[in-house]
Amino acid sequence: MPLTRAQGLERHAFKAVIRRYLAACPERSMPHTRSAPGSTQEPAPSPTPTPSLPPTFAGNGNLATGYNPDGVRHTDSAVPTAPGGPVRHDYAATGPAPGRLGFRWINGSIVAATNTDPRVQVVQYNEDTFVLRQNVCVHWEAPFVYLLFGNEGALLIDSGATANPQHFPLRETVDAIVARWCQMRGRPSTPLTIALTSGEDIAQNQGLKQFIGRPRTTIVPPPIAAMKAHYGFAGAWPGATGMIDLGDRIIEVIPTPGTHRDGVSFYDPYCDLLFTGDLLFPGRINIGNDRDYVASLIRLRDFAARNPILFVLGGHIDMMFAPGRFYPRFATNKPYERILQLLPEVIDDALRHAREVQGRDMMLIRPDFVLFNGVSPDQRTSVWPEGVPQITPPYPF
Amino acid sequence: MDRRTFLSYNAAALAVPAALTTYAEAAAASGLRPAPIDFSGDGPAPGSFPDRWICGSESLMDNTDPPVHVHWYNSHTAILRQNKAYSFEAPFAPLYFGNDRVLLLDEGFTQLRTNWDLRGVVDECIADWCKRHVRDPASLELLVAFSHLHADHYAAVNQFADRPNTRYMGLTHEEMLGFWGMTDFPEQRITLDLGGRDILIWGSPGHVVSEFAYYDSYTQILYTGDMFYRGRCYITYWQPWFDSMARLIAFCDEFPVSHVMGCHIEISRDGTDYPYGTTWQPDEAPVQMTVEDLRQTSNSRRRSPNRASISPAPCSSAIRPAASPRSTPIPTDTTDAFVARISGGVRMRKGASR
Repeated sequence: MPLTRAQGLERHAFKAVIRRYLAACPERSMPHTRSAPGSTQEPAPSPTPTPSLPPTFAGNGNLATGYNPDGVRHTDSAVPTAPGGPVRHDYAATGPAPGRLGFRWINGSIVAATNTDPRVQVVQYNEDTFVLRQNVCVHWEAPFVYLLFGNEGALLIDSGATANPQHFPLRETVDAIVARWCQMRGRPSTPLTIALTSGEDIAQNQGLKQFIGRPRTTIVPPPIAAMKAHYGFAGAWPGATGMIDLGDRIIEVIPTPGTHRDGVSFYDPYCDLLFTGDLLFPGRINIGNDRDYVASLIRLRDFAARNPILFVLGGHIDMMFAPGRFYPRFATNKPYERILQLLPEVIDDALRHAREVQGRDMMLIRPDFVLFNGVSPDQRTSVWPEGVPQITPPYPF
Repeated sequence: MDRRTFLSYNAAALAVPAALTTYAEAAAASGLRPAPIDFSGDGPAPGSFPDRWICGSESLMDNTDPPVHVHWYNSHTAILRQNKAYSFEAPFAPLYFGNDRVLLLDEGFTQLRTNWDLRGVVDECIADWCKRHVRDPASLELLVAFSHLHADHYAAVNQFADRPNTRYMGLTHEEMLGFWGMTDFPEQRITLDLGGRDILIWGSPGHVVSEFAYYDSYTQILYTGDMFYRGRCYITYWQPWFDSMARLIAFCDEFPVSHVMGCHIEISRDGTDYPYGTTWQPDEAPVQMTVEDLRQTSNSRRRSPNRASISPAPCSSAIRPAASPRSTPIPTDTTDAFVARISGGVRMRKGASR
């Protein structure tokens, strides 16, 4: 059923969607409930602001939600009560662990050659979750890389589009973040696992070379057969799921081929984030095998029905803030980018429209992504989705 | 020096300190551990505010001041203030040094180190302090905290993501409380030990929900963030703001306070309001306020709790709709018009219009 115009507009009213989402999940609508003794206040969801306002203006909080939500325990105090020993973090969360993507991504510049942004942008989601982005002017794909920590190890999801550490110092940045995290938790070091959402995606596997020879590091081998063997998928691909145990934080590995033969998605039950790489992201999705693509989305839909998902986080952003508008390949100045995080409803939307393009060579525009099936990634179309407002974004300069 | 003296002279003892790279290593090599600094003592540690802060310029692109004004209040306390040409918010950020830890309260309004390098400035301050007091900068833990959850106070956090020996606050209410280990916000008052220098911290909601007040027992400066400062105090939640004022007053009754300090200045020495967004404040009022100012404001609030007003005290207050703080379109003529427009009638201060 296509969205009505009003629904289409509402999709972009972040706050409304969050409210609807919370209303639809009654068991999660009050994620951090623990009434203080003697408190007459109704326990309520966390006062974490929904990011409906730019960061400058967000953050007033909400009095109705109470001052002392349960999620407070997910932060290790700045003043450890027992200094000396390693801190063991409590990853058992009743709802999504508190965290926030409160910043605008670096997004290139008018003249790429004179860009002065950092080569790797680091944004902390919470103490145990980091999002890194490659500078658009180092590589136009500007992939996102995720770094998750558990009590027994860290996980790096994807590795960026550039191998040269002079241009893209991913290893150096990851090492520094890991070192600081270890200091914070009173550990000498922590093992690192590097897993890719696709070993054959050259926009995500290039940085892997920087980590060769790194001590205490496990690299999930990129060749498809070796990868399947590593996760124990042998024979059961793509029906089974694998896992990466970080110590009290077990990341689930879901086979999701479709854009790449060896595509996998990762689910983090601590923050309720689903990392989908090239399969589903706010951008131009190039379907490699449409039958696999539909099957993978069905698998994700079923997974989402069983597991709470706060955001779907992909590997890139190509979309603009205006619905259905996107940047072409090789763009190095993207001032009007859409935000990275997608709501879980996007899985249903993608599935519905993936079925529409299945077996046909065509491109199809949706507000939050564009599907390309069997056509050039530079294909154009005059077909505009029904019910989506046609907003022409301003020319960047 | 004759040959015999030369041969018996212990050249190594002289050469070693010069070859070592840090003062702390040199101190360790010479067997001297720096004595811990004594932050106790009667009365507030002496210190001073500058007569004038860097405060923007008429033409921003011709501004030649550094992005941040670093002022050493005393030997162990630095106060940073952003140049108005780098952001009209121009927040203040105190940096408190203790024997074990350094506390940075608030940050400038900058996100990337390539815009302007707050972390570099903080590192320089720490290096400077360590040089003066013979410490190794690597031995000091840096705590980066902020007064409340607004971007002009936390935007630079990610600059510290790869800085060793650093802890910083997360960007949710839960993570802020968890950072200080609070379980009973806002009443609970916790003590942060920087190493002989105690910082008292408690909740101070009203401007926003997630806000703290910080009291430094050494300088006895009470840092009130955006909840109370010399300018327009935007109140989102009235009753929590009154409660927070009462909490501040009760604190002042219990503890000696040398100065009350907020995060911004939005008012001139003669009491003229600088409109929202002003980037040049040539005659701005000092940042520091007195306990008397706090008491006066609290009293005047009691008298007119339901209307925005310009108080005789240095802080004026403006009702702001909860859902749309500063994003509310603001008329360009005067801020008082803004106050009047949304509150439906205020007591106007003479000469307030600019």
